[in-house]
Amino acid sequence: MSWRPGLGNDELVSYGIVNYNKLQRSELRTWCKLHKVNYNYIIMIEIQNLTKVYGGETVLDISLLKINKGDGFGLVGNNGAGKTTLFRLILDLIRANSGTVLSNGKDVKTSNEWKYYTGSYLDQRFLIDFLTPEEYFEFLNGIYGLSKGDLEKFYLDFAGFFNDEILGKKKYIRDFSQGNRQKVGIAAALMAKPEVLILDEPFNGLDPSTQIRLKNLLNKLKSDKEITILVSSHDLKHVTEVCDRIAVLEKGAIIHDIKTSQGTLKELEGYFSVS
Amino acid sequence: MVYRFFLRHQWKEMTRSPFWQKNIVLNILLGILVGIMLLYLLVLGLFIDKILMELFPDKDPIMVFNGIIIYYFAFEFFIRFFMQSLPTLNIETYLHLPIKKSAIVHYVSSKSIFAIGNYLSWLVFFPFAFKVIAPAYSVATAWAWAVMMVLLIFSNNFLATYIKRQLANKPSIVGFFGLGLVAFILFDYFGVISLTALSSQVFGLILKNYLFLLPVFVILIFTYSLNCFFLKAKLYPDEIISKKKGKVDSLANIKYLKTLGLTGRFISLDLRLLWRHKRTRSIIFMAPLFLGYGLVFYPNQQLNNGYSFLIFVGIFMTGGMMMNYLNYCFSYESNYFDNILANYRDFEAYIKAKYILAVTVSTISYIITIPYVFFSTDILLINTMTWLYNLGFLSFVLYYFATFTKKRMDLSRGAAFNYQGLGATHWLSMLPAFLLPVLIYVPFNLLGYSRAGLLFIGAIGIAGLLFHKSMLSLVLKQFLKRKHVMAAGFRE
Repeated sequence: MSWRPGLGNDELVSYGIVNYNKLQRSELRTWCKLHKVNYNYIIMIEIQNLTKVYGGETVLDISLLKINKGDGFGLVGNNGAGKTTLFRLILDLIRANSGTVLSNGKDVKTSNEWKYYTGSYLDQRFLIDFLTPEEYFEFLNGIYGLSKGDLEKFYLDFAGFFNDEILGKKKYIRDFSQGNRQKVGIAAALMAKPEVLILDEPFNGLDPSTQIRLKNLLNKLKSDKEITILVSSHDLKHVTEVCDRIAVLEKGAIIHDIKTSQGTLKELEGYFSVS
Repeated sequence: MVYRFFLRHQWKEMTRSPFWQKNIVLNILLGILVGIMLLYLLVLGLFIDKILMELFPDKDPIMVFNGIIIYYFAFEFFIRFFMQSLPTLNIETYLHLPIKKSAIVHYVSSKSIFAIGNYLSWLVFFPFAFKVIAPAYSVATAWAWAVMMVLLIFSNNFLATYIKRQLANKPSIVGFFGLGLVAFILFDYFGVISLTALSSQVFGLILKNYLFLLPVFVILIFTYSLNCFFLKAKLYPDEIISKKKGKVDSLANIKYLKTLGLTGRFISLDLRLLWRHKRTRSIIFMAPLFLGYGLVFYPNQQLNNGYSFLIFVGIFMTGGMMMNYLNYCFSYESNYFDNILANYRDFEAYIKAKYILAVTVSTISYIITIPYVFFSTDILLINTMTWLYNLGFLSFVLYYFATFTKKRMDLSRGAAFNYQGLGATHWLSMLPAFLLPVLIYVPFNLLGYSRAGLLFIGAIGIAGLLFHKSMLSLVLKQFLKRKHVMAAGFRE
C-alpha cells in the first residue's frame, strides 16, 4: 500500500523549520509559499503515544497518527473500538492517560486555538435542546463572533440540507425527531466554516435523502477548500464515499490505515467479515 | 397473569433507577423525613377529636368532621391534579406483543392506586373511626365509615387522573376550580350557603345505614370505568401521551442582554434554561418559600433579643434563590456540557455571566424582603448586610464548590423529591460559609457592639465585590481544572 505520509516534526526540521510548534498558522502558510511546499502536506492533527484507560482497561492506544491538512479521514470500527474516545480526546473533552494531541502543532490541552477552526458534532449532548433551532444557531453565531449577515448566509447555504424541516417550526430542539436533531447538530458544526470538521457517526439516524445530501456536502467542502474532515461510521460504504483515507480501529489500536481506492470497500468488508 | 409481569417490570424500573441506587444516605434521610410526616398525620388522627372540640365546643365532633370532609376531598382533588403524576406504562414496549389491549388498559387505569397520596389520609381517618365513631355508635359502624372513606379516596384518585388526562394542557380550568373552592369556604364561613351542613348530612347517612356504602361503591366503579373508556379509546402512544403543543416563548428577545455581548448571550441562555425546564421552573415558583421565612421568625419577639439567628434568616432569604442557582449552575448544563467544552472559546465571559445572574437573583430577593422593615428597622439593616455578604462572599464560595458537582441532572423531572445531582459532602463543605457571618457577629455582640458586628459582615461582602475580578478568575481556574471530571460525570 503506497500511502503518502504527512509531515511530522522531524520532516519539517529537515525542511528547515525548527520551531514548528511555535509557528503561527499564517506564518506557516507564508513559509510554505516561500519554500514552494504544498501547504496540504503539512499535518493538521498529530497524535503521539495517546492512551486512555477506563477502569484498568485500555480503550485507546495510538502511538502515532498524523492527519494531513485537507485529508478526508474516515474512522471505522466495531462498537467499543474507541472511535468516540479518540474524537473526544482530539476535542479535549476527556483527559488522556498519556500522550498528546497536537492540532496544528499545538497541544489541545493547553492551547485554546483549535476551537477557532474546529467544528464538531459527536452526539446529542452537543445540542442545547431547550432552544429552538433558530435560537441555537443564533447563540452559536454569537459565540463564534459572526455577524447577522453570516447567519442569514448560513440559513441560505443550508436551506437544501434542512429541507424545510428545521427552520420556522416554532419547536424546541428536544421536540424534534432524532434525525432532524442530527441535522441541526451537523449544520451547527459547519457554521463557523471550520478548517477541521469532526463528526461522529453523522449518517446514523438520517433519512436516505439527507444521507446523500450530507455526502455531497462533505465532498463539496473538500473540493472547495482546504478542510480536514474526520468522520467515523459504522457504514463502510458511506465512509469510503466521503473519505480518501480510512483507518480501522480495533480494541483501541489502529490496525489498518489505507488510502481509499476502487477496492477499498471490498478490503474493508474483508476486515470486518465474520468467519 | 400478565399483570404480574407489568408489576414486576415497574418495580424493577423503580428500584433500578440510578436515583435509588446511588444515594443510600439520602434515601435514609428521606425515609426519616417521610417517617416524621407520617407520625404527624397519625398524631393528628389520634387527637383530631380534641382539636375539633376545642374549635367547636358546642358541636358533635363527628358532625363537624363529616362536615369538613367535602372540603377535604375537594382540596385533595386539587392537590392530586397538580402533584400526582399520571400513571403511565411504556405501552410501546407491550403493544406489539400478544397481550390483550384490555389488560393494558386495566393495568394503566388501576396503577394509580399505588400512589402514596391514597394512603396518607388513612392515618387520620382510621384513628378517628375507631377512637371517636366506634364508642359513639359501634365498631361495625366505624368500619363502614372507614371503608366509605377509603372508597371515596380511590374514587377521588380516579376522578383526578381522569380529569388530568383530559385537561393536562389547561391547568387554568382547575385553577378556577380552586378559586371556586375558596369562594365556597368563604360563603360557608359567612353562612351564605352551607356545604358543611350538606356534607355532614350525606356522610352522616352511613352512620345510620350500612347500605349507603353501595352508592359509594358505584361511584368508585364509575370513576374507574371513566379512565378505562378514555384509555381504551386512545390506546395509541401518540394519543395517550398528552404532549404539550409546542409553544415557544420569546425569552430570546430580551434587548438589554443583547447589549452585553457574549456575557449577555450566556445570561440569556441560562434564563431560557431556567424557564424552559420543569425542575428549574418549579424552583422559581418555590421562591415565596424562601422569601416568606421572615414571616415565621420576625413576629417572634423572643428571637429578636439576639441577632445571631436573624442573620441566618437574612442569609437564607436574600441568598436562598442564589444558592439554588449557583449550586447547580454547571450540572444544569450537564446535557450539553460537551458542547460547552468543545465550542465555548471565552470561558471568562461564561463564568462572569453566571455570577452576574446570581447577583441579580440575590438582589431581587433582597428588594422583595425590604418590606420586612415594618417589623423593625434593624431587620432592614441585617438583611442589607447579609445581602452584601451574599454578593461578595457566599456567592464565590458556592460558585467555587459548584465545580465539584459531577452528577448528571435530568432537568425534565420535577423538583419535589428530586435530589439528583446533590451530594452530601457538597453541603457539608459549604456549611462554614453559612456559619461565618454568625461567628463574626457573636464576639461583637458579646462586647456590646452588635451594630458594628453587622457592619463588619457587610464590609466583607463589599471587599469581595471590590475584588470580584480576582475572585472570578479563581473560580475560572478551578473550573478549567475540574472540567474534565465534571464532563465525565455528566456523561454517565
